[in-house]
Amino acid sequence: MKRRAIHLGFRALTALSALAACAVLLGIIGFIVSRGWSALSWSFFTEEIAHVGASGGIYYNIMGTLILLLTATLCCTPLAVGLAIVHSVYLAEHPLRKKLTMVLYLLNGVPSILFGIIGMVLFVQWFGWGKSWLSGGILLGIMMLPTVTITLIERISSIPGRYLEAGRGLGLNQSQLIRSVVMPQSFGGLITGLLLGLARAAGETAPIMFTATIFAGATLPSGIKESPVLSLPYHIFILAQDSYDPVTKTRLWGAALVLVLIVFALSLAALPARLKIHEEADHA
Amino acid sequence: MKRSFHYTKLSAWFFTAVALLALLGGLGLLILDSIPAFKHEGLGFVTGTRWFFRQEEFGAAPMIYGSGVVALIAILLAAPIGIAAAVFGVEFLPSKWRLALKVTIELLAGIPSVVYGLLGILLLRNWIYDLLSPFDPLSGDTLLTAGILLGIMILPTVMTLADDALRSVPGKQRMAARGLGLNASETALYVSLPQALPGLLAAVLLGIGRALGETIAVFLVVGRQDNQWPSSVLSLKPWLESGQTLTSKLGGSESNIAYGQPLHWAAITGLGLTLLATVVAITFIGLWLHQLSLKRHEA
Repeated sequence: MKRRAIHLGFRALTALSALAACAVLLGIIGFIVSRGWSALSWSFFTEEIAHVGASGGIYYNIMGTLILLLTATLCCTPLAVGLAIVHSVYLAEHPLRKKLTMVLYLLNGVPSILFGIIGMVLFVQWFGWGKSWLSGGILLGIMMLPTVTITLIERISSIPGRYLEAGRGLGLNQSQLIRSVVMPQSFGGLITGLLLGLARAAGETAPIMFTATIFAGATLPSGIKESPVLSLPYHIFILAQDSYDPVTKTRLWGAALVLVLIVFALSLAALPARLKIHEEADHA
Repeated sequence: MKRSFHYTKLSAWFFTAVALLALLGGLGLLILDSIPAFKHEGLGFVTGTRWFFRQEEFGAAPMIYGSGVVALIAILLAAPIGIAAAVFGVEFLPSKWRLALKVTIELLAGIPSVVYGLLGILLLRNWIYDLLSPFDPLSGDTLLTAGILLGIMILPTVMTLADDALRSVPGKQRMAARGLGLNASETALYVSLPQALPGLLAAVLLGIGRALGETIAVFLVVGRQDNQWPSSVLSLKPWLESGQTLTSKLGGSESNIAYGQPLHWAAITGLGLTLLATVVAITFIGLWLHQLSLKRHEA
């Protein structure tokens, strides 16, 4: 009887923990939706910010965030593909391969504010760019690098050996094999990795607040130097600190809702491919 | 054909080199810029309790203390809940439901830190203020508030890694335990959890690493009060007061005004280097344990 009681108690305790974790998520989402929903309107998406967030919309904030994400994608992709191919092909049997894996995982753990501090010295001061969309894009691109590279490496390692053998059998040399088997077969991994990386980058404030983004007074950038953009995370960050006006607050929750929706859309788009990998791993 | 060989190999190595040099460059820059501060303060940089940049006093101990306390509160909250939830997912849930749980948790991980900060500033700190009202708090911006918020933020990290660790325990061992007459809970308690211990430890360490590096959410609710050095490190009272962490200092306006005064800027980058060294060390041990836990059942 005692054993059964402990069993039921233990199961209930763990179930409660899992339930609590899910409840927190649903609670957070429900709260943001309920507070921010009424702020969403056509003009909220198409007008520019006015009266310190009390009126107008977040058009240029969304555009700014999209510009940063696009730049980050363009910076990250060649580096991630290069790293993944060196890791999986050229270092396949080399002891340095493990070191490279470790570097990638460690980079993933580096606090995001450090990217902001280093970016501030390098881009803002040394390059004399001031605040620029390009520095923000580069910094976010490097932050995404481990996620994208590791996802790509996992996908490359799951390419069936018979594909590579078939390629070799056709007389392809190593480079041809990379270009006509490895890269096309792992393209999905690049997309999944980019989606996951972008989901994280979209919400980052710390790397861009000193280097790329301002609260108001910027539209679309026309050059590199002194060309900041507005962004959703920084908009929320600033308004969160000094908004006691209820109208502004509703718009603030509206902006948070838009940001969360963007992030969720990116993570959910990456989900099917990731579940498939997990399923395959489970069967193996 | 020879040309194309060079082209593919060269470009892969070229981009790898660019990426690695950028990382090395960033690290080197952080180290170089911080040297004057360590020269000026010596070991006092990490043990000194006073930070007054106009008097050129740079003691980071109160911020190291703040970072330590918020990370401790966060992991005290996230470790039991995260590990218990992972146990439920692995040991009791059918695999279809386990996936649903995993997806939910990954979405929770995706919520941006600034949104957590917003929830903290508009909800949590008011709750904490009400809760602490018997102690007559100055505000709801306390180390405790930041710690609780961080606890929720690192819950997905802890849970996902605990899930990995538990799943690496072979099903055969569970079956053997069940065959000996243990029920599911006893199997979890006496077989899966002890077997997964290194991996669970990794989950805790990597959770702490994440908590130490988190900036924006902490910045918004920690109060950013400098020079809060407790009379006793074991005293719990400072937990209920405002404080400053390494990250909230780095994210503050002082980073903007410090550039141009080499010593002050060196002190700021010194904080960054201290943070980086701590997080990298903890993450390194955590990753090592994680690898160990995944591998030890393979042989």
